[in-house]
Amino acid sequence: MAQKLTFIEILRRALDEELTRDPAVHLLGEDVAVGGAFGVTKGLAQKHGAQRVRNTPISEAAITGVATGAAICGLRPVLEIMFIDFVTLAMDCLVNQAAKYRYMSGGQLAVPMVVRTQAGAAGGAAAQHSQSLESWFIHVPGLVVVAPSSPVEAYGLLKSSVRLGDPVLFIEHKRLYAQREAFVPDGPLPGIGTARIARAGTDVTLIAYSAMVGNALEAAEELARSGISAEVIDLRTLLPLDMSTIAASVAKTHRAVIAHEAVLNGGVGAEIAAHIGHELFDELDAPVTRVGCPFAPIPFAPELERALLPGTANIVAAVRELSS
Amino acid sequence: MTASAPTLDDWKEMLRTLWRIRLFEGQVQRLAAAGEVPGFPHLSTGQEAVAVGVCAHLTRKDSLFTGHRGHGHALAKGCDLQATFAEIIGRDSGLCRGRGGSMHLVDADNGMLGATGVVGGNLPLAAGAAWAAQVRGDRTISVVFFGDGATGAGVFHETVNLAVLWRLPILFVCENNGYAEFTSREEHSKVNHVSAFAAPYGMPAKTIDGNDLRVVHAAAGNAIAGLRDGSGPFLLECMTYRLAGHYVGDAQQYRSKEDLAAVQEKCPIERLKRQLIAQGVSESELAGIAEEAKREVLQAVEGARAAARPDPSTVLEYVYSAPSLSATTG
Amino acid sequence: MSLVPLEIPKIGLVMENARLVRWLKSVGETVRQGEPLLELETEKSVVEVESTDSGRLVEILLPADREVRVGDRVAWLESDLDVPVAAAGKASVELAAVPAKGPAGPAAAVATAAQATGRLKSSPVARRLAAEHALDLRRVQATGPRGRIQLADVRRAIESKEVRGPAASVAPQALSSMRRAVARSMTLSNATVPQFFVERAVDWTRLQSVRAQLLAGLPESAPRPSINDFILQAIARSLRAFPQMNATFTGDAGSPEAALVPAQGTHIGLVVALEGGLLVPVLHEVDRIGIVELARRRGETVERALSGRLKREELEGATFSLSNLGARGPDRFTALISPPQSGILAVGRQRDCVVAVGGGIHVRPVSQLTLTVDHRVADGRLAADFLASLTEILEGNTWRLT
Repeated sequence: MAQKLTFIEILRRALDEELTRDPAVHLLGEDVAVGGAFGVTKGLAQKHGAQRVRNTPISEAAITGVATGAAICGLRPVLEIMFIDFVTLAMDCLVNQAAKYRYMSGGQLAVPMVVRTQAGAAGGAAAQHSQSLESWFIHVPGLVVVAPSSPVEAYGLLKSSVRLGDPVLFIEHKRLYAQREAFVPDGPLPGIGTARIARAGTDVTLIAYSAMVGNALEAAEELARSGISAEVIDLRTLLPLDMSTIAASVAKTHRAVIAHEAVLNGGVGAEIAAHIGHELFDELDAPVTRVGCPFAPIPFAPELERALLPGTANIVAAVRELSS
Repeated sequence: MTASAPTLDDWKEMLRTLWRIRLFEGQVQRLAAAGEVPGFPHLSTGQEAVAVGVCAHLTRKDSLFTGHRGHGHALAKGCDLQATFAEIIGRDSGLCRGRGGSMHLVDADNGMLGATGVVGGNLPLAAGAAWAAQVRGDRTISVVFFGDGATGAGVFHETVNLAVLWRLPILFVCENNGYAEFTSREEHSKVNHVSAFAAPYGMPAKTIDGNDLRVVHAAAGNAIAGLRDGSGPFLLECMTYRLAGHYVGDAQQYRSKEDLAAVQEKCPIERLKRQLIAQGVSESELAGIAEEAKREVLQAVEGARAAARPDPSTVLEYVYSAPSLSATTG
Repeated sequence: MSLVPLEIPKIGLVMENARLVRWLKSVGETVRQGEPLLELETEKSVVEVESTDSGRLVEILLPADREVRVGDRVAWLESDLDVPVAAAGKASVELAAVPAKGPAGPAAAVATAAQATGRLKSSPVARRLAAEHALDLRRVQATGPRGRIQLADVRRAIESKEVRGPAASVAPQALSSMRRAVARSMTLSNATVPQFFVERAVDWTRLQSVRAQLLAGLPESAPRPSINDFILQAIARSLRAFPQMNATFTGDAGSPEAALVPAQGTHIGLVVALEGGLLVPVLHEVDRIGIVELARRRGETVERALSGRLKREELEGATFSLSNLGARGPDRFTALISPPQSGILAVGRQRDCVVAVGGGIHVRPVSQLTLTVDHRVADGRLAADFLASLTEILEGNTWRLT
């Protein structure tokens, strides 16, 4: 019988297995030796040693640079940045150094590094601990951006990320951390840059990633009750985008709704919409529609947070608007 | 590498390297003026002794990171003259196949692991390389060259703090030429010497005359021996004097005539020559070393200039580890 | 001062759309109430549309040579009470002035104008599929948001197979508004009006001499009465004699509302062939005037029909029509009633025929008359009597000439 694990437990398991599998794998970050802020790395320092699982000072710029420099020299560091909001402090290293190292060196050096970070709004974390900043990074050649949608997805994607030869920003949604899922570790690991069909359908394609995939699945369920068959695509990787999976689906359904928690302006949805509009123009039966956060910071009070965040109802409404 | 005290031949070889760097950068300057060098190369003319004095103690397995003024460090670390020049003028045979240029010289085989154009950005990378060395436990070390201006970046302090905490085998080499970009040190910080930043973090440091090769060589030798023994990071502040402007084409209006008059007195090559003559080396032998270096450099420059330019169809290579990842991006 | 929007009025009973031919006023010009403002080409004719208000024309929302629909907003008038109202002329059609809706008047007008451009909204994939099946999108029922034709609409249309166009290589041609009007009217006629035909020959011998005498006595400048003018008068007199024929049928034949509406006066349509269609201008009170006046009025009316300048009342009110295809016409033909009329007379070409008159064999100028009658209005007996009366008048000598 399949074991049920939380998102956090599954991440820990994936890291544990990778530490065991490859001596080049090292974890670092604030408090990771004692489990990290969310307990993901709990027990790993005891098991694999303090050199393999290292605490760092609260120095995001330096520790991201240290991880990058170590990656250049053959380690496979997995760095934890507690909140994606704090990645702003490490932008030089991620954008100017890590992303470009392979290219600037003419292929001599690579940065096989994973920056695990946690994003999204939940529970009143407010404006500086709730953001969805992924679209900043899909603008940077050389980076890979991964955003798993469930515990089982996180397991495979994290392991694939650790084994990749490129710098990966691995974005975990805080709303998923406590989610529990039956887990049987078998089958091949998912390829980075490949989306998956989370639910098959024929009438409209719902494209989502991270926690929003859950909302898209709920929306599909609700739409099915009124006779609309929605196909749900879980992007898994935001950079590079798996346009071929999206194209195959939209060519079938002729309608696309892209949903994400981030604001719409300059977002992942805008990028996908542009691709669909250009590459699938003749397949479209309705305008490509985006569901996202209104253009405001994430507020603190629960009522305000709820009022701002997009959810299942927004996706359902967007689909219905296309059909009537 | 000189494990024990350098012999006279070692010093002559180091003089040759000083000349190589000086003449190499002279050619960069000449071709930049002629419009043959894309971008804006930065010269280290006058600061060569720091590069040569430190790198004399390094092997190819040791890591080196530098900043935007790094031609000298790369050559001192052992990078090929022609491949380096070819990179600076954007040729396919350049170290980085024309992807990096003057500010991003990388030669992995020689441990020349990076030159970053963002001041201070190289510091944590070097610390990361030092961590990797520590993990390997092979007594290799990591060296990072930076200007005094980098101490204004928060990441300098973050990196020093972390390096001390982790006891990393990293040598911080500050080339304090008294100028950060276009303004002098006094306008940047009330801390006169960069070495003063080390003590609060618990890191040993030393401020030396960076224009005297023998002084640099001795100080770096001591520091690096300690690093290999695992005694933790060290900061070497080399007071030096830039003979060129901030970048090629810079009119140097911010420097006084008096400053420039001191140049000949401070030139590391002139000083080493005087020392070698005092040790009985003939003027003609010294001239011969310079001539040889000149011949080497000119040959390398002409070879680089004749080399093929990059094929535009290869512009998308090296973005990702696998072509499939590039293929699916916009 | 206030802004008054001007809208396209409904002209005639069936008008839905028309073409805005040209503006008779420019922006900035002062317009008086009752003054012609623009020309519309309806299904039947070109009509001048008059302004309902006085003021300054501040904005034209629809340019010339554009399809318009009833109710489309076409212009903004800045009404100015100081401008005197034009003398009430023979008003043709007035623009319907509507109250401005709120302060956002002109902005709203722009939106209306955009809708009125008539661009068909359809999704890219719907267009592609329609093209693959040589399907005219204009004939596809749109069910999508904002009137957009979607993929499902095209699929439905293809499945129904009713709207398949010609082969892809032959592009379907849009109907002119006149062609469309004829098509609609004749479809209505053939589908809803039970029609029967009665025939009789008419001998023109006497009428030819009457006409020759009349023409000889008319001044050079006077309009020349034609055989048609005599036929029109004969029809008018017959309608007077058989008032049961001078009526229109209304309502569904099977419903209690079905009724006959007797006509007031004798109003007769004259079928005028035009390039690409036909018009049936109406001559009113034909029994009240003589042949000479009738010739003048008929000439003017036909002239207006040919130049597309018929007035609204010249297209309405007839119960009966005359169709004469002239000297190059067939020997005889049948005509379809133009609803809501109840009869039409088709006149074959005049030709010399051998006829027996008074026991002798003679050659006489003869035409074959074919009368089409709405069976809901009249039966065979009545139709035969009507046609007999008509023929007798035409062969007689009892004309009201002046």
